[in-house]
Amino acid sequence: MERRRLGVVTDGTFEAGLTVRLDPGCSTEDLRIGSFVVVEGRSHRFFCTIADMRLQVTDAGLLADPPRDASPFVRRTLEGISSYATVQVKPHLMLDISKGVGEETPVEPVRTIPMHFAELYEASGVDFATVFGEERGAYFAMGTPITMELPICLRLDRFVERSNGVFGQTGTGKSFLARLLLAGIIKSKAAVNLVFDMHNEYAFGAQKEDGGWVKGLRDLFGPQVLVYSLDEAWGARRNVDVTLKVGLNQIELGDVLLLAEELELSPTAVTTAELIYARFGSDWMKRLVALDSGDSEALKGFCDLTGAQSESLKALQRRVKRVAGRDYVREEVAFSAIDEMVAALDKGRHVVLVFGRHDTPLDYMLVANIVARRVRRLYQEKVNRYERTRDEADRPQPLLITLEEAHKFLSPQVSRQTIFGTIARELRKFYVTLMVIDQRPSGIDPEVMSQLGTRVTGKLTDQRDIDSVFTGVGGRSFLRGALESLNTRQEILILGHAVPMPIILRTRQYDEGFYEAIRGRGEKGRDIGEDIADLYGD
Amino acid sequence: MRIGEIIETSSTGFVAESYQLHQPPALGSLVKVKVDDEREVYAVVSYGETGGIEPGRRAVRWSTDEVFDEAIYEEHPELRRTLRTEFTALSVGSLEGRETRQGLPSEPPPMHYSVYACTPAEVVRFTEELYYLRLLLAGEGPVPREQLLVTHLREVYRARGNDGEWLSKAAREIARLLKRDYDRLMTVLLGIEPHSMD
Repeated sequence: MERRRLGVVTDGTFEAGLTVRLDPGCSTEDLRIGSFVVVEGRSHRFFCTIADMRLQVTDAGLLADPPRDASPFVRRTLEGISSYATVQVKPHLMLDISKGVGEETPVEPVRTIPMHFAELYEASGVDFATVFGEERGAYFAMGTPITMELPICLRLDRFVERSNGVFGQTGTGKSFLARLLLAGIIKSKAAVNLVFDMHNEYAFGAQKEDGGWVKGLRDLFGPQVLVYSLDEAWGARRNVDVTLKVGLNQIELGDVLLLAEELELSPTAVTTAELIYARFGSDWMKRLVALDSGDSEALKGFCDLTGAQSESLKALQRRVKRVAGRDYVREEVAFSAIDEMVAALDKGRHVVLVFGRHDTPLDYMLVANIVARRVRRLYQEKVNRYERTRDEADRPQPLLITLEEAHKFLSPQVSRQTIFGTIARELRKFYVTLMVIDQRPSGIDPEVMSQLGTRVTGKLTDQRDIDSVFTGVGGRSFLRGALESLNTRQEILILGHAVPMPIILRTRQYDEGFYEAIRGRGEKGRDIGEDIADLYGD
Repeated sequence: MRIGEIIETSSTGFVAESYQLHQPPALGSLVKVKVDDEREVYAVVSYGETGGIEPGRRAVRWSTDEVFDEAIYEEHPELRRTLRTEFTALSVGSLEGRETRQGLPSEPPPMHYSVYACTPAEVVRFTEELYYLRLLLAGEGPVPREQLLVTHLREVYRARGNDGEWLSKAAREIARLLKRDYDRLMTVLLGIEPHSMD
């Protein structure tokens, strides 16, 4: 194995990791926080990441009077001997090499540390392949290490087993990451997807920052992907399968409470809503909206029935009418559209719900909550039936729901009121998990964050956001520096359930090469004419 | 070339009187003693001194306005018999048959035996290994150890034909040996910088 030796282990504890004294020829500038490195112990190979770096001298006299004006000869002599560097490395996994390494030798979690003078090496292609596996089936390449052209895989089967987070400050390409993951999941059939596409990015093509176009999931996978639209006019110009409407009968109290901030509901308004709901149940929105508050008799009657204050009632009604007045809202809508959506998911199809022009937080939160709630209810019934019949045919298809602006649904204030909070907390009890996409992970309830299995994150600089990404992940604080060091566009850190150890990658490109790889050999795929028709109509 | 005769000898080295007055081997240079057909002891010149052969007798001034320096010796030829030059050398290794060993010799070199200057080829062969530098650093003598190292490294550098690579290697070995004493290390390094030797 052609691997560059970097140094030797001189100190360490199991808890804190190992201290490696770098060889004189090796500079700290050759290395990077978060890089994958390998320590060769006597009977184990340890797979580690670089956690910290430190400069040292053998005599403090050198610090007081450094060789500023010394000749290159003197400086070269001192370098690496009188002045040297150490790096802290954290082992994550180990391999028993005492009896020779075969294909079957399992990579295990680390249970011991090497003795003094074990050697540290750069990781080779073989090391990466040993730990991360090779591309096949559920092993999906997300990118390459910074220094190598080698595809590194994330396990999609493990990815969908839990809820996950895709994070990164604005401009770090979270939608590209989401597209990669969704395409991989669809291709490998790890789960069925329901995507709440707030900015119309995922179904059909979208325009990149630099003006080029990228394909959407419908472009890549054709009729396997169903497109639902909230915006009839927008949908009419495109190849949309179903236009969704929302009925007042479908809006529950929790939906309005979720929108308290968007609608600027005062605490009194909230109480009023609760009173009305308590009196009228599922009819409450219809009744509230229908009330003619100008008619003082009707108003008084309503207040008597519910116990609400007339002024508060009128204020609430004004705000609620903002919702009722949306284009896609009707008085009464059957749940069958959503039920049919679930039936399609059951048959292995994927659904993208695009919001068209209705891309305000209000629309997004209202509709996503209503749809997801119905979907989850159906899933709960399915799972209950499956548990009764134990018939494989009744087994639900694992469902991954993609949710953007997640902090609006999962902040500590509202996470208990949304169905998404419930889904995140119940792990995969009802075969439903979430993929949350957000640039402000600090806005998400820490309890929810700690339930996220895998975190795929681009650069973050806000300390609170960085802290929150590591919520619920033990001993990973040393990767904070790595997260800050990512470059804005192309680099990500992946950690958690779907990868054996944390890894920094240069993200795979979502381009022609990717489209071909996803389509597989021999499939013709869709041509540009079809793409244009989808985007612009005829 | 015979340059002296041993007049004192011990485990750590010897004192020799040079054949020519005022011409001891260079400080820091490598010299050797042929103990027998098989063995040679190598040593580094660590000190030199010229004085009267009678102990305790101090030199007096001989110069006048007209007669000084070399002319004094023309005027007073007996001086060449009453003065002698001695040098001290620290043992650093030996050649046994074909094998070079670095370390103290098992016996002191024999009294009254000749001391030879090492040829450049002999210097190159002996100094391939640098372990002997530890002996120089640990030895005792009136010359400060750093200065001895400086002169020695310069001598070897020259004998090896201005071998910069060897000098760097030796410098790094010195840096290891003096890692705890930056000031002493710098005294050596500043003394052996290549440009200062051109």
